[in-house]
Amino acid sequence: MQQREEKQLEAAVESLISRVAHVKNALHSFIYKLENEYERLTWPSVLDNFALLSGQLNTINKLLKNEKTPSFRNQVIIPLLLSPDRDEDLAKLTEQRVPVFSHEIVPDYLRTKPDPEVEEQEKQLSAEAARIGPEVAQKQIQTLNKLCSNLLEKLNNPRDDRDAESAAIRQNKPSFNPADTNALVGAVAFGKGLSKCRPPGPVAPGHPGQGPMMSGGPTLQQVTIGGGSSQQAGMGGHVAPQQQGQPGRRPGELGKMPSSIKTNIKSASGSMHPYNR
Amino acid sequence: MEAPPVTVMPVTGGTINMMEYLLQGSVLDQALESLLHRLRGLCDNMEPETFTDHELVYLLKGQQGNPFILRARRSLSHPTSPWHLRYLGQPEVGDKSRHALVRNCVDVAASHSLPEFLNEMGFRMDHEFVANGHIFRKGAMKVVVSKLSRILVPGNTENTERLSLSFLVELSVSAPAGQDTVSEDMRSFAEQLKPLVHLEKIDPSKQRH
Repeated sequence: MQQREEKQLEAAVESLISRVAHVKNALHSFIYKLENEYERLTWPSVLDNFALLSGQLNTINKLLKNEKTPSFRNQVIIPLLLSPDRDEDLAKLTEQRVPVFSHEIVPDYLRTKPDPEVEEQEKQLSAEAARIGPEVAQKQIQTLNKLCSNLLEKLNNPRDDRDAESAAIRQNKPSFNPADTNALVGAVAFGKGLSKCRPPGPVAPGHPGQGPMMSGGPTLQQVTIGGGSSQQAGMGGHVAPQQQGQPGRRPGELGKMPSSIKTNIKSASGSMHPYNR
Repeated sequence: MEAPPVTVMPVTGGTINMMEYLLQGSVLDQALESLLHRLRGLCDNMEPETFTDHELVYLLKGQQGNPFILRARRSLSHPTSPWHLRYLGQPEVGDKSRHALVRNCVDVAASHSLPEFLNEMGFRMDHEFVANGHIFRKGAMKVVVSKLSRILVPGNTENTERLSLSFLVELSVSAPAGQDTVSEDMRSFAEQLKPLVHLEKIDPSKQRH
């Protein structure tokens, strides 16, 4: 009686091993394809591979549920000896996947139930699934389908939207103004527009009626940076007398450049205010 | 003291001989956010940096020739930081093969007595302005988006007035002389900012009048 059961068990294990070997081979070739032939691999052939795997797993499930198969649950496996050392036989048997039979890996390999936390999570998920009625589920499925089809639609004709958008931007909202660019560049380079008291262009030296603000040496705006300037030598003569007529200005804020450093230092205390505000 | 002192002398040697490669443009206020958004995406991942600077431009005039210009800058948001003194050479814009304006550039840090020192040397302030805005970096490239304001009462940086309704956008790289490949990088970066901003090589002497 016992012997018959044992034989039955042996046969069942035998056939299980061969089926698992089939799954393993199918997985192996699939992974190989994914890694080496991914350039030529088409989606239908990937699906074929999945179908093959699923069929093989189904066969295993059927085998396990078969009445003739003894219940594997009733068989108990106890780890008799754990060793931290490398076991060559074991490594060979498992194709180098399990080289040691140690405390670290045994709980993983001989486990028949998931981790308590995983079990807890699974329980929660099944409770959640049971709570939702079929109608609610149906509704959720519909909403998801709707969202997906909307998204697909958007992805399929993106060009129209994008073109319309960029055209709108181009037509209605210029993002920059070349005149502003020039004004700003002029301001950082020469202080153009920064000191209002100064005339925009070169001024004839000693021009009457322009007031004391116009006198003095050339400012940065007036000086031609690229080339030489001819009028400055003549302008220097007007600086000192006019500046002397403006006492009480603070020396640190003058903005005019007398034509020579000597004059400059001399007249610093009596120089005029560069701003007319 | 006769000849304009340093202007005509080439600045050479070591780290001093640096060139600044520059592209400039501007962006209207209403498009600023889009530009900042794009820059945040394009530039190195870093904390957004803002600044408020006060720049004073000083002139030293010799007997003849062009005045010598120095730019002194101080941070208004970090009053204890050193001043920044900068010399910029003549911009080279003629070379068509280069995609950016190139000019000699010397940067030094200075103490807080810089304005007095420049005054004693005979420099006189020509103009001043306040710039505030955002800085971005991408590798060696620096992107500065700044609002320029004129100072209404000299020396009072609180009392300012917007210069225009646009922000100035500058893309610059400091590199040793002769490294023209950086201008290629700058151009491709500038391409990515279009059509929001057109960064160009702008000859400043044409903006004078």
